[in-house]
Amino acid sequence: MNVQRRTFLKVSAGAGFGLAFRLHAFATQQTAANFEPNAYIRIDSDNTVTLWVTRSEMGQGVRTNLPAALAEELEVDLDQVKLQQAMPGSRFKGIRLRTSGSGSSSATFMSLRRAGAAARAMLISAAAANWNVEPSSCTARSGAVIHAATGRHLRYGELAAAAAKQPVPENPPLKNPRQFRLIGKPLKRTDAPQIVRGTATYGLDVRVPGMLIAVMERAPFMGEGVAGFDPTKALAVPGVRHVVAIKSGIFGGVAVAADNTWAALKGRDALHIEWLPGPNRNFDSQEFIRKLEAEASAETPGYPIRRDGDAGSALANASPGQTLHALYEYPFQAHAPVETMNCVADVRPDSCELWLASQTPETAHQSAMRMLGLPPEAIKVHTTLLGGGFGRRLFVDYAEEAIELSKAIGKPVKLMWTRADDTRHGFFHPASVEKLSAVLGEGGTVSAWIHRSVGSDLSMFGLPSPDERKDQQRYAKDESPWGAFDTPYNFRHLKIDYVPVNSPVPTGSWRAVDYPSRVFGRESFLDEVAHALSKDPLQLRIDLLAPGDVLTLGEQEIDRGRMIRVLQASRSRSGWDTPFAAPAGRLGGRGLAVNIYHADSYMAQIAEVSVARDYSDIRVHRILCFFDCGLPINPAGLDGQVESGITWGLSATLHGKIDIREGRAVQQNYRDFAVMRLGQMPAIETHIIPTENPPGGFGEHPVPPVAPAVANAIFAATGKRMRRLPITPERLQSSMSRTEERT
Amino acid sequence: MADPQTATFNLTINGRKHSVSADPEMPLLWVLRDLLGFSGTKYGCGVGVCGACAVHRDGIAVRACQIPLRDAVGHRFTTIEGLSDAGDHPCQLAWVEEDVSQCGYCQAGMIMTAAALLHQNPHPTDAEIDAVMSDSVCRCGTYGRIRRAIHRAANGVAKS
Repeated sequence: MNVQRRTFLKVSAGAGFGLAFRLHAFATQQTAANFEPNAYIRIDSDNTVTLWVTRSEMGQGVRTNLPAALAEELEVDLDQVKLQQAMPGSRFKGIRLRTSGSGSSSATFMSLRRAGAAARAMLISAAAANWNVEPSSCTARSGAVIHAATGRHLRYGELAAAAAKQPVPENPPLKNPRQFRLIGKPLKRTDAPQIVRGTATYGLDVRVPGMLIAVMERAPFMGEGVAGFDPTKALAVPGVRHVVAIKSGIFGGVAVAADNTWAALKGRDALHIEWLPGPNRNFDSQEFIRKLEAEASAETPGYPIRRDGDAGSALANASPGQTLHALYEYPFQAHAPVETMNCVADVRPDSCELWLASQTPETAHQSAMRMLGLPPEAIKVHTTLLGGGFGRRLFVDYAEEAIELSKAIGKPVKLMWTRADDTRHGFFHPASVEKLSAVLGEGGTVSAWIHRSVGSDLSMFGLPSPDERKDQQRYAKDESPWGAFDTPYNFRHLKIDYVPVNSPVPTGSWRAVDYPSRVFGRESFLDEVAHALSKDPLQLRIDLLAPGDVLTLGEQEIDRGRMIRVLQASRSRSGWDTPFAAPAGRLGGRGLAVNIYHADSYMAQIAEVSVARDYSDIRVHRILCFFDCGLPINPAGLDGQVESGITWGLSATLHGKIDIREGRAVQQNYRDFAVMRLGQMPAIETHIIPTENPPGGFGEHPVPPVAPAVANAIFAATGKRMRRLPITPERLQSSMSRTEERT
Repeated sequence: MADPQTATFNLTINGRKHSVSADPEMPLLWVLRDLLGFSGTKYGCGVGVCGACAVHRDGIAVRACQIPLRDAVGHRFTTIEGLSDAGDHPCQLAWVEEDVSQCGYCQAGMIMTAAALLHQNPHPTDAEIDAVMSDSVCRCGTYGRIRRAIHRAANGVAKS
């Protein structure tokens, strides 16, 4: 969490139209027969429309939603649009190719609509000139311009050459949303036919002629290098061709390149490596979390994130029985996409070609330039489909390993990570502890709210320097931590602090970045406050969002009215006001949590949970999700992302975590880093509440409310507060009130 | 030069014979992917807990990462590429109709597992589906749609 990241996230979560839409900056490469009004589109004389997709497909539907936005304005059918994956380089100079911040569909939406509208206007002008009629008397439909008065029409392919000579309009007229044919209609994934036949190409599926396959043994202790190694036994394995020390990547290590994966794996098993001794051999995540807890309860000043009124005095002057405190703990988490990290690199003396499943092909491009000293045009980066991204593929450590290896052996090579490599050598979601305190006011109000958030800066951008740390406003200027900074509620006295406590563990963006841990604390504690006040938790939230005004925080305008309307819908459509009927013999309850994602998406979730009377089993029966993310570009895709995000949230709530003992991650596989399975899934009901606001993000947003909604439901069922994730029956059965203090 | 650790095996994959010379211990997964080019069978965990590499052995779903090459002889294997000629197995059609896939990486394994289930039990209940499919991991969380797609395939209404 530093200022660099703010820039990063502004561009990723925000719109960035000006950045992305560069009609005039695009050096046109069109031939006489082609029409390329901008970097995104080409129309060929055979009527083919090509769209360069400027985001990576990792399941969020960019290869469906982006062509839909273009086809809508260009007036072509969706199946007429052929997709090309954008490649870093001159064509997309200044156009963002990074996929992050839930902005893939929302941030490209206007750019692609304008690109399509500009092309449509130019095609219409070309046809009108051909017919010698007014452009306004022509319309465009299904890839043709039509002059209804005379019944004439010309296909776009026939117009391509003439359209290319038309001036590019500054502000092409966009369609009225009421005339949308594609946007706002449920669209199925365009890649599905290839996926179900096994012909879709992911990074691991890439093969290039002469390619070797490599695996690498990475330093087991964080940040320690290779002291020496004996390659003899590895080289004796049939099929093993090279054993090479690698300095790049997450920790460095030794790579074994072979004719096939099996030989590489056997070669790696036969390696003997001496690791440099380093300072992290004794790092233990349990001890680290105890340290976070100590910091959370300490009186030392943190970085001031928000200040309203005088929460400190309100707390100091509160009478006994008026205050409430609790600590909430979120562990380290892995991304664990099913496709492990990998990259195919083909480094030649004067060129480099990479194939990789990446959220940031431009970063891999820059890495290759830096590592090889090659000019940008000598490097080609092909982005394949991603077998899951979730933030892990914002890093290119695996690409750097492959580049170094290919250069060393002078051959193309696929560097693949095993599942254990992937689970143990992640850029984990950082562990954090949230301390929440409240002063309860007269008549069921909350007079003061204090949130002290303790966790690590994401190491993905490098940790802030001591000088940078002198700036007391640095985190607030960064609008972080998300979920604490943008606390939407109206408290008379509000104090939010952030206390960075760093560790040697590499950390990065996990799905929803800062939100999951902060929202777990914030929304769980609000439920505790509601119960202490004997108020309905849903009504308390509405009361704290009154009068439904707009809260301006930095660059965010949080519309509390939108959140109130989502809560009202969730009350009337969930059965909130009636008791939850648990299966016979079980304890049951409902829990609520809300979150607002960067002021543009508003969500409430209600979890229905039952627990065995002896607490030996926890079952989530149903999660209802109420969601205003503005104009829903593709409601079918939204439903899918809600199901996906909730499943992700449930995995973290009920199952997996990463423990680090003696300097290395303990978990190695889906066996010990457990994720949700079909038989454990609740019913998920998505209720989209469409508004005419600009489209907001939706890929990450369903994650954060899950844990507090489930924990609050468990409290409703059992009276036990679960303040530490994951929530397991064992933890439920043991003492639950570890951190609860009423004074 | 003949390698003492290499032997030649005849495999039957998708109805065709393939002759493979390799380490007898090499898991079928890498035989399929690296030696024969059947990249629809995915690597996910290598230890049989995720199901991304599910293929059919004599009609039964098995995990290719758990079958050494030497044990693959004498069986008929089907991979996702051989499940149907035209991508029109009821499960494939149902997967498209139910818009199951997100990143899609695990889905070939899911489809192979589901197709074998339906072969043995043409009309599974939710509980029967859950019991079989819970051995497979989808990190995108498409589970609800997988269950619906299996029912759709079972009901023979794959094409709506």
